[in-house]
Amino acid sequence: MSEPACAHAREGARPVPYRGGGFAPRPRRWAGAAFLAGLIAFWEMCSRLGWISPLALPAPSEALAALRDLAQSGLLAKHLGASLGRLAQGWTLGVLAGIAAGLAAGLFSLARAGILPLVAALFPIPKIALLPLFIIWFGIGEESKVATILFGTFFPMTIAVYGGVDNVDRTLIRMGQSFGLSRLSIIRKIVLPGAMPAILSGMRISASIAIILLVAAEMIGAEYGVGAYILLAGNLMATDQLVAGVMILSAMGLTVSWLLGMAERRLLRWRA
Amino acid sequence: MARKIMGETRRAAAQGWTRRAALGLAAGLGLGLAMAAGAAAAAEKVAVGALRFTSHAPTFIAYERGYFADEGLDVELKFFQAAQPVAVAVASGDVDFGVTALTGGFFSLADKGAVRVIGGLMSEHPDHDGSAVLVSNKAWDEGVRSMADLRGRSFALTQFGSSFHYMAGRIAEANGFALEDMRLVPLQKVGAMIGALKSGQVDAMAIVPHIARPLDAAGAAHIVGWVRDLGPYQVTTIFTSAANTTERPELVRRFMRAYARGIADYRAVMLDQDRDPAATEAMVDLIHKYVYADRPREKAAPSIKAGAVHLNAGAALDVADVERQLTWFKKHGLAPAGLTMDKLVDPRFQPAGE
Amino acid sequence: MDLRVVGLTHVYAGAPVLQDIDLEIPSGRILCVVGPSGCGKSTLLRMLGGLERPDAGAVLQVGEPPEGCLNPLTYIFQDFALLPWRSVAGNVALALEDRRLGRAEIARIVDDVLARTRLSAYRDALPRQLSGGMRQRVAIARALAVRPACLLMDEPLSALDAQTRELLMDDLVGLWLREGFTACYVTHNLAEAVRLGHRVAVLSRRPGRVREVIEIDMPLEERAERMPELAVHERRLWQLLREEAAAADQELADV
Repeated sequence: MSEPACAHAREGARPVPYRGGGFAPRPRRWAGAAFLAGLIAFWEMCSRLGWISPLALPAPSEALAALRDLAQSGLLAKHLGASLGRLAQGWTLGVLAGIAAGLAAGLFSLARAGILPLVAALFPIPKIALLPLFIIWFGIGEESKVATILFGTFFPMTIAVYGGVDNVDRTLIRMGQSFGLSRLSIIRKIVLPGAMPAILSGMRISASIAIILLVAAEMIGAEYGVGAYILLAGNLMATDQLVAGVMILSAMGLTVSWLLGMAERRLLRWRA
Repeated sequence: MARKIMGETRRAAAQGWTRRAALGLAAGLGLGLAMAAGAAAAAEKVAVGALRFTSHAPTFIAYERGYFADEGLDVELKFFQAAQPVAVAVASGDVDFGVTALTGGFFSLADKGAVRVIGGLMSEHPDHDGSAVLVSNKAWDEGVRSMADLRGRSFALTQFGSSFHYMAGRIAEANGFALEDMRLVPLQKVGAMIGALKSGQVDAMAIVPHIARPLDAAGAAHIVGWVRDLGPYQVTTIFTSAANTTERPELVRRFMRAYARGIADYRAVMLDQDRDPAATEAMVDLIHKYVYADRPREKAAPSIKAGAVHLNAGAALDVADVERQLTWFKKHGLAPAGLTMDKLVDPRFQPAGE
Repeated sequence: MDLRVVGLTHVYAGAPVLQDIDLEIPSGRILCVVGPSGCGKSTLLRMLGGLERPDAGAVLQVGEPPEGCLNPLTYIFQDFALLPWRSVAGNVALALEDRRLGRAEIARIVDDVLARTRLSAYRDALPRQLSGGMRQRVAIARALAVRPACLLMDEPLSALDAQTRELLMDDLVGLWLREGFTACYVTHNLAEAVRLGHRVAVLSRRPGRVREVIEIDMPLEERAERMPELAVHERRLWQLLREEAAAADQELADV
């Protein structure tokens, strides 16, 4: 203890105990990557030492080898191309439809009365259960695959947009009206930008759901596609390929998250 | 699935404790023989994976008529929706015996040293109905009249690497075109395959006779050929875990003896159903307890009778055809290149029964 | 253009909020409206600008709005109501965008009004980068951009701290001296009312009625220097309001 502190101590004074801090996680750029790398190294070690049976889980090096074979055979590009095409179509259509329905539910009483119960009733239905119906409705071609992803992304998007529109500051809308802006202008210039944070977070969720549904969508008549590749690996009990396929899905998830993060930084600069 | 497999790994790692290791030890000390011989000895617990198909009837017959019990086996039937999970369950040690078609997944499990084929069950036979090749009305109208016309057509499968995939390969081979000349459409479920065929979204598929004939009769599709015309085909096989074959061969032998009796009963009645109608009805009653149990008997009976397929006497395995299948799967990258017949088949349990 | 309120009455969910309000806002003058909280001041203001419909009575425009007026009745809101995703210039431009003006014309008006309100240096800043006082200045600039016939100000200084409020009051006085706008200024702050109002209307507690309209006959530009004289008016207003405020304070909120 230092001299003045001693003096205070004699008077019976002591520092107030510190109770703050914590609860404020900050991004640690390299910690995440290091943690992941460490985990994979540990997994590899367990496989090499025979602690994990190859029947249970292939070593990461085997999965990477499967991935390399896939890339060298040229099939990786085919699978990725097919899947990304379906994802792009299904997700874009689902997001656009979700924005439209969410806006309608957020702005018009009648639309709200119609859409909200419908969303509540249909959102929880696993889309995979509807696959047989989708085959009848949309056939076994691309349409049923796109539709599966579309339906999966539409509902979370509707909910996110509706919530976002509901949360747009009403005084901003009054302001728009007081300056004589048209209804369309108010929606375009005030409601949509105001709901943009919610729309972007809805896009994040729906993009993840779209990737989740990829495997289900490609159960039906898909020759190429990451989901079809994973299904085939499962059928053949080729666990190294299975894990390789899952790695591709993870990479897709990471990429989408990164792209949306960039979009958020660009579009939501005003939020700081 | 992974959990179970890991459980097995753990079990294997902790040897010396498990039921299986203890039994192996007992057998090694010569006690196994005594247990097997005396009905007085406590029956050995065995789990058999079963699917609710007519082609699995010997399992139900041997169980219902006490053939397993006669061999000192206390059998527990475990029901599955598809054959692949049975193979996985056998690999993980949750089930001891199962019946499956040879598929890419099964070959892979065999390559990993988890499962081995010990006998044959269903096979295509020149004198009996086997799988039929159906084409959609649309394809029929476009002039598809035989298997040879399937070149350039689409063909429905459950999955790549399934027996349907193999049948497509056999059709292509027998008619002198490449498998790539057909567009293969995986649809996961037989129901989806039938739906796609009826609606003309696929041109063709192969399917068991009791599904094919009614579709043809109802005008929903057309039978243009039979898989049996393509030559001998060992469709389903009986298998167990590799550990069972090495650690408990005597148990496997007893199981196969009982199973062969079930097959014999089935063949005696179902392959000539008019010879003894009373026996046929009794057999239908027995099978109906397990197959189509959700339908009333009068509705289930025709399907059960029509579903009578050819099962090999004595669970004999057509080893040559198994080898041919393995070669085909390897050639198409659907089976591990390193898998040998020695690793896939254990012939010591052939022939089974008297 | 004058604004006249005739026999205006409004009922919310069965409870009257405003009753028989008669008011006159002559051109070029500022009318302040004070009253205890919940007396319907803000409702009255929304009706003045046509954002809400009264149950009875009417708000009348007397005479034509001056030449070049784009939005005769223009609000300034308590919480500024700036679009956070638009820059200062973008927020001002918003008010002009549905008016069939050319892009160049809009840019010219924005530049002009930012210069007049001394905001030119901030034209590209986002609202979050500005202090509360600066944000309200932007809102005022936006209101001036549409050359209003009458400004409707809803407690425009209430969200600001006391020092900023003083500065903005000086700004508003300076602006009125230069532009001579007409305004209805709703506030609960009596000091603001006597500084800015040519006349001050006192509303009673709910249902709001006009208790009295007092005239303050002192030029706006002199008021900062003659605070003691204004204090007399302020005290008188407080006497009028005191009982109403006390009674209003004891009421149960059931709306």
